[in-house]
Amino acid sequence: MATTHGAARLDLLDPFEVSRLGGLEVVTEGLVEGFLAGLHRSPRRGFSVEFAEHRMYQPGDELRYVDWKLLGRKDRLYVKQFEEETNLRAMIVLDASRSMDWSGAPGSRLTKFEYARRLSAALSLVLLRQRDATGLVAFDETVRLTLPPRVSRAHWMRLATALGALQPGHMTAAAPALQGVVERLRRRGLVVFISDLLLDQASALHALKFLRHRGHSVLVLHVLDPGELELDGPAEVRFEDPETAAAVVLRPRDWAEVYRKTVSDAIAEWRVRLRREGIRYHAIRTDLPFGRALREALVRPGGIA
Amino acid sequence: MIGFLNPLWLWALPLATVPLILHLVARRQPPTVPFPAVRYLQQVTRDHRRRLKLQHWLLLLVRTLLMLALLLAAAGPTVARDGLSGHAPAAMVLVLDNSPSSGAVTDGTAMLDRLRQAAGAVLDKATTEDALWLVTADGLARRAPVEVLRTVIDSLTPSEIRLDLGVAIAQARDILADEARPAEVVVLSDLQQSALSGVAIDAPVVVAVPAIVPPTNLGVAALDPGPQPWSPGDNRVRVRLLGDSGRSSPMAVRLGDRASRPQLASVGPVLEASIAASLPGWWPLTVELDPDEFRADDRRATLVRVIPVAKAQWAPSNAYLAAAAMTLREGGRLQDGREVTLGWLGPGASVVEPPADIAELGSINRALERRGVPWRYGGPVVREELSDSGRLLPPVRVARRLRLSYAGGAARGVEATVGGEPWIVRAGEVVLLGSRLDPTWTGLPTSAAFVPLIDALANRLVRGEQELLNGAPGAPVQLPDDVDEVTREGRTWRVEGGAAWRPPATGVYLLQSGPDTLGALAVNLDPRESELATASRAQIEALWSGARLVSLDRVAEASFAAGARGHLRTPLLWLALLLGLIEMGLASFQRRTA
Repeated sequence: MATTHGAARLDLLDPFEVSRLGGLEVVTEGLVEGFLAGLHRSPRRGFSVEFAEHRMYQPGDELRYVDWKLLGRKDRLYVKQFEEETNLRAMIVLDASRSMDWSGAPGSRLTKFEYARRLSAALSLVLLRQRDATGLVAFDETVRLTLPPRVSRAHWMRLATALGALQPGHMTAAAPALQGVVERLRRRGLVVFISDLLLDQASALHALKFLRHRGHSVLVLHVLDPGELELDGPAEVRFEDPETAAAVVLRPRDWAEVYRKTVSDAIAEWRVRLRREGIRYHAIRTDLPFGRALREALVRPGGIA
Repeated sequence: MIGFLNPLWLWALPLATVPLILHLVARRQPPTVPFPAVRYLQQVTRDHRRRLKLQHWLLLLVRTLLMLALLLAAAGPTVARDGLSGHAPAAMVLVLDNSPSSGAVTDGTAMLDRLRQAAGAVLDKATTEDALWLVTADGLARRAPVEVLRTVIDSLTPSEIRLDLGVAIAQARDILADEARPAEVVVLSDLQQSALSGVAIDAPVVVAVPAIVPPTNLGVAALDPGPQPWSPGDNRVRVRLLGDSGRSSPMAVRLGDRASRPQLASVGPVLEASIAASLPGWWPLTVELDPDEFRADDRRATLVRVIPVAKAQWAPSNAYLAAAAMTLREGGRLQDGREVTLGWLGPGASVVEPPADIAELGSINRALERRGVPWRYGGPVVREELSDSGRLLPPVRVARRLRLSYAGGAARGVEATVGGEPWIVRAGEVVLLGSRLDPTWTGLPTSAAFVPLIDALANRLVRGEQELLNGAPGAPVQLPDDVDEVTREGRTWRVEGGAAWRPPATGVYLLQSGPDTLGALAVNLDPRESELATASRAQIEALWSGARLVSLDRVAEASFAAGARGHLRTPLLWLALLLGLIEMGLASFQRRTA
């Protein structure tokens, strides 16, 4: 198991190397340990009426939160923690469509889905460690998985387990999933939308704008495989969309330049249109180390998220 | 119409479709690759596909045209250059008929002069890049630069050799068969009917038709001195004339210095003349007509041998032989004596029959051996056959014969054969007959050829002399086996006995075997030359289907028609270069802007 004290920080390793190290939870722990080691710890405290979990008493804790019943049973001091002590309610919306299950270099690079799954796990752990309630919605053409935001450590295990069991689906329809998020986040929170954005742009933008309109912070992580950014090869190829089976026959060499520009324009368009709505946007290449991706996506002046 | 210098390259024209085939093959089975971002590709191609498709097909068209241009350039296309001067480098065979008839004079000008003038006009159009051949009556195809050919043509005189125009065109066709340049045959001839023969025309042939009526002509077609040798005294000569009927000419027959009585001769029945021979020897015999517009056939010559007739003995018991001998004696062709023995092997010259009793074969063969005769009688052959036709005899029936074998190397002296086997042979002054002169052996004694045969055997063959041969200049003559030299007026040709030999010119040639004169060869003009009538256009077109007939004075204009075509190779190569540049530009532009 890699740790922050290990020979290498997992968040700085190549994603494919990281993927070979073990289970999702273990790897994610390593990623986050490494990632957080480079940041200030910010265990923010707060209290609310909704019990969340126990933790060991530490000098300075208010005595009124000591669980006296548990002291009686276990002869140890624990203090109660409540949901309201988290600063944030975050929802990770993960695209699990067929288009995500693709790698431009199979065997040497993670698929976009694998990358996004690890990124989601790492992100949720980061948020949970900050005492932010974190939930998960995975979707393809329907909502495949919904885990409401919780702040407990055990919740991360549920998140990780669910992510590990999640398989890529079929088509992509982001709007229902994003609308579902609105229902789940009754108060203002953070929505992290992780997708390759190969979806209906208009409806997705509409849903994201609606989230923003409801006061949520929205972060879009655009997962891109380097193979999608460039066309290569001289011979004629029939490119087929794994989701829609739509196909285009062309010679990559002839179209490489204009394709590069088109993709660049598409990314720019997403960025501009999202930012115009106050939505943060980050394009993440699947050949980037997770730590760099997380840092670029999450860190901004003043703290995480 | 388009012609091609290297038409074989046209077979490669389908290669021009290679770009299209590659395009279709490449389009047929492109590998399928899963690619989620197809929407971007669709967006890209939606915006550019029409333009790129146009560019693509344009590129395909340019590549196909490029291939086509290169392949066509390799094939060397030529097109007619109507109205333009000059011609592309061409190959031409000029058939100039200087056969004897070309010496015929019309309106004061010999036909050969007219043909030479036309040939000069044709050569005026030739360039140094043309390949030119000249074929004349001697059958030689001379390839030379235009100036050399001009000199050759200017120095041409009427040849004594007949030219078969069909053979000459076939020769020209063979010459041009491997020629890459536009090829053409130009025939300049008086177009005698007798000179035309059928030939397949598969190359452009221009035939110049003289608009001249040939002169009326009377020529000596044949001079027959009759059986050889002549004996001293009066001998008869037969003469046949050819030419235009209704014309007559004084005819003079001369034997050495002696002339026959002059007579007026014309075309018609065979003419006979009597002329006296006196001293033994070889004497020139000529017949001559008054000169006319075609001089070459006004005289004919041969050689006759004058020698006393043979003094022969024969066995009265052989009725057929005796009857023939007596007939010859009555005709003055034989005398009684012992110089020649007819029927058995005598002490001197002998004509030997096979013995009636086969048991005598051994003694005859031993006697032949003692006489140094290399021939021997062998076993009998009993079957109905015909003798092979030859100079000595027409085919006659042979029912029985004895095989004749030669006892020393290659057989020599075979005078007649049956089924290819020797039947009448000669060695020195001995002649062996393979069959007895008996109708149960052969039909010879009852045939019309019998008496002349006995005459030839007794007077000529046993004396080691051959018959008088006739030939024409340039035509092959089969020489007798014993001949090893041919002489004429001090000039000698070494020849192979039994082989064909082509006498170079008219005249009388002596056939020699060492110091002995075996016979003579009289070489005179081919009698067909005397018929000056020209072939009609219909006759020419029937024999040379596809030939282009033009009048003699316009042949120069019509010549080099095959080469009077513009070369398309250079423009095609320039076009290919241009297409190549367009292709590179288009391909580059397509890659840059796709």
